[in-house]
Amino acid sequence: MSDREAEVLKILKSSSQISRFKEFLKKMLHHRKALAGLIILFSLVLIAVVGYFAAPYNPFSTNAPPFQPPTRQHLLGTDYLGEDVLSWFLIGTGTSLFVGFSIAIISAFIGVLVGVTAGYFGGQVDNVLMRIVDVLLVIPGFPLLVILSAFLPPTLETTIIVLSILSWPFLSRVIRSQTLSLKQRQYVLASKLSGLSGFQIIFRDIIPNLIPIIFINVIFLAVAGVVAQAGLAFFGLGDLRSVNWGTMLYWFEAEDGIVYNAWWWLIPPGLGIVALGIGANFLGNAVYELTQPSRGGQ
Amino acid sequence: MVTLGYVIRRFIYMLITLFVAITLNFLLPRMVPGNPALLILITKYAGNFNPNQLKLIESELNLRGTLWQQYIGYWNDLLHGNLGPSYYFYPETVNQIIASRLPWTLFLLGTAMLISVIIGVIIGSYSGWKRGLSDNLLQAVSIGLTSLPYFWLALIFQLVFAVMITINGRHLFPVAQAYSITVTPGLNLPFIESVLWHSTLPIITLVITTFPGFALLMRNTVVTVLDEDYLLLAKAKGLSIKTIRKRYVNKNAMLPVTTSIALAFASIVGGAFLVEEVFSYPGIGYALYTAVTVSDYPLIEGIFLIITLTVILANFAVDLIYAYLDPRVVLK
Repeated sequence: MSDREAEVLKILKSSSQISRFKEFLKKMLHHRKALAGLIILFSLVLIAVVGYFAAPYNPFSTNAPPFQPPTRQHLLGTDYLGEDVLSWFLIGTGTSLFVGFSIAIISAFIGVLVGVTAGYFGGQVDNVLMRIVDVLLVIPGFPLLVILSAFLPPTLETTIIVLSILSWPFLSRVIRSQTLSLKQRQYVLASKLSGLSGFQIIFRDIIPNLIPIIFINVIFLAVAGVVAQAGLAFFGLGDLRSVNWGTMLYWFEAEDGIVYNAWWWLIPPGLGIVALGIGANFLGNAVYELTQPSRGGQ
Repeated sequence: MVTLGYVIRRFIYMLITLFVAITLNFLLPRMVPGNPALLILITKYAGNFNPNQLKLIESELNLRGTLWQQYIGYWNDLLHGNLGPSYYFYPETVNQIIASRLPWTLFLLGTAMLISVIIGVIIGSYSGWKRGLSDNLLQAVSIGLTSLPYFWLALIFQLVFAVMITINGRHLFPVAQAYSITVTPGLNLPFIESVLWHSTLPIITLVITTFPGFALLMRNTVVTVLDEDYLLLAKAKGLSIKTIRKRYVNKNAMLPVTTSIALAFASIVGGAFLVEEVFSYPGIGYALYTAVTVSDYPLIEGIFLIITLTVILANFAVDLIYAYLDPRVVLK
């Protein structure tokens, strides 16, 4: 094959990839579950943006009486110090989403790199990487998180780094098995014949085809990250002065919100987490149904 | 079929995993800047101590000598089953604390897991078999339920059933603890009643968030099994629907559920810890929470070790049981 032919082949491939991606986006917007998922996630982002620019109070200002049920001035009441729960929730949504998506992006990066490398190169590389993944998957996650966080400085950055390091193994397994099947396709063979190196093939042929899977896993990793960070904060670990869903629940528990029947303080952060989970699952199911339409079910 | 080679290989993997976990457990506290022995003395005695005390605590915490010597000493202690002293519960040792708390956690986890698997298998089998409405309902409900964070659900239950709702001035369920102070622990009816009453909310919390996973898995495998050729044969033979469901579908579909129990166990542990924190349930998770809040490092390490050990052993066991349960699986 001449250089020119290889060039033409590449252009053909890349244009078909772009149009496939566009087509995929179009299908997403016409899929009921996908649309519902997107709307939920978008609303949460909107809440975060509102919180960042227009929270009604400084979350640390304590001018109101403590444990006050919802009023006109404080739509979600006040906490044990008289801080405005609505402002905590609005700003906390931003922090929680930021933490979740930071973790998701870092760990997806590691997971994709490890999975593609193991799947594409196979042999000893695959063996060693997958053994490491096995070990990480077997060690119970939450206790490991607790012990790491207990010994490292209690900052939000620590939490993000620790969770990123522990979150990638499962994704790397998924990516590896996908890579194993993609590697057998005709167009990968064509690229090989045209003399592209292993890494070129990975970045041009393999990873672009994994984008729907990576996308949905980033969302799931973000949900898992938000929940894990909240769990850690609830356990008294990490930066407890940070305003997020986890610290809201921690202070509720630590300052006896139960005794004061302070449901207005308990419900918002939990509903935030549930909404995020439901949104992600809708989107995940939709992507699964759209990418594997041959499978039975609906 | 399981070959000896397979068992040996799984065993070696298990040992490697254990080795990694234990080494991590040794290294982490030593990576923290500062001297933990000094920290204890400063926090406990506000600086009123002499150098001998420091040496004593250092040797008790196995902090003397080079890192390598400490590592050898650590393994030595470990192989003698000695997890060291607890800072906070002193003079109680970490061993004693774990021994008295672990049964409570295992009780919660074991019961919750058993109930979740049973409910999951029944619902999953039904909706996989019937499809249609029940199937869609299962998917929607399980999405909602699995998105519930354990500890938030626990707090909601605590608020609603142990604080808000009262009948004749009495609360439906207790807010905290594993049994009431009026009963004497032992094999007597009031104690058992009290234990069950106290564990209801924690167990329900764990079950609600755990069973949907099993139900979905069961549903999916039932759907797959229904397409198998041997089912066509069974129908052609004229076997009753009931026999087919029981003997052919459910039995085969149970297999993946069995293996997933080990993985679910690793994740439910975290949930159980948080639920224990909410209900001040005297298990190992609540001990870990206490240890974290008072920086009781030996206790944190000890609990991590025991839990990791349990989960790794459970995984190993399930690997072997699976091959035994499914004669089609040949593991070399």
